[in-house]
Amino acid sequence: MSAVVYEPIAKKVLSENDRVAARLREQFREQGVLTLNLISSPGAGKTALLERTLELWPPGGRVGVLTGDIQTDNDARRLAAFGYPVKQICSGGACHLDARMVEQALEGWDLSDFDVLFLENVGNLVCPTSYDLGEEAKVVVLSVTEGDDKPLKYPGIFHKAELMLLNKIDLLPYVPFRVDAAEANARSVHADIDIIQTSALTGAGLPAWFDWLGARRRTQS
Amino acid sequence: MHEMGIATSILASADAALEQSPGARLLTVKLRIGEWAGVDASSLRFCFDALAKGTKGEGARLDIETPEQSDALEIDYFELEEP
Repeated sequence: MSAVVYEPIAKKVLSENDRVAARLREQFREQGVLTLNLISSPGAGKTALLERTLELWPPGGRVGVLTGDIQTDNDARRLAAFGYPVKQICSGGACHLDARMVEQALEGWDLSDFDVLFLENVGNLVCPTSYDLGEEAKVVVLSVTEGDDKPLKYPGIFHKAELMLLNKIDLLPYVPFRVDAAEANARSVHADIDIIQTSALTGAGLPAWFDWLGARRRTQS
Repeated sequence: MHEMGIATSILASADAALEQSPGARLLTVKLRIGEWAGVDASSLRFCFDALAKGTKGEGARLDIETPEQSDALEIDYFELEEP
């Protein structure tokens, strides 16, 4: 009996997911689609922000949404009201979307029809962080009804996200949330993170969000 | 929360290693899981043990290194016992 050491060729545990994600990323880039992976805890307002975003999208816009939930197509029905292509991904109990689910959901869609594609992940700040979906950037949504120390409790996603949308700011007069502390906490795990304060309810911050999207499209192309 | 999926991927990779050495048994999986990877080590061990039962991976030990300020999620190497 002897012990031998074997090094796997693909060291990453999720190398199969990464392989599919790389294929997706290549397709998105070829077609010039800015794909964003939206991640937050449940109830931070991802769907409401997307509703506002689609509502304000310039006419003739080339935008689409894949929205992930453990169950129901409620979000897809909410988002479809704006007339843009929307598809629900039911993760069937899984706490995150993976690249294969995105690839399957995109079957039948022509990527050349899109400038921007939103991937609304399952509400969860932990698991979606590990799964690359081929996106150009991750966007984390934090709402002021949560703790302002969340970036410290879930550093992984705040480290990986390019942008933090601080949502529900219309509620600031009624909650003890400290905006300065939240922003400092986010910057302590990711010094360069972009931060935009938004309210899906009042539309505050949406122009800044659109500016960010425009700038990000230009950097990609 | 997604440790079952992670454990499944590790076992699939171990199977590929075991195919290279017929008759071998898996002793150790050396992993690098950064503190920001969002993977709980004790939960991963529990899932791995449950999934490995009845396979060539049964009884294997997970040796987990936890680098700081890292989101690494990597298999460093497998240690196999060859007959």
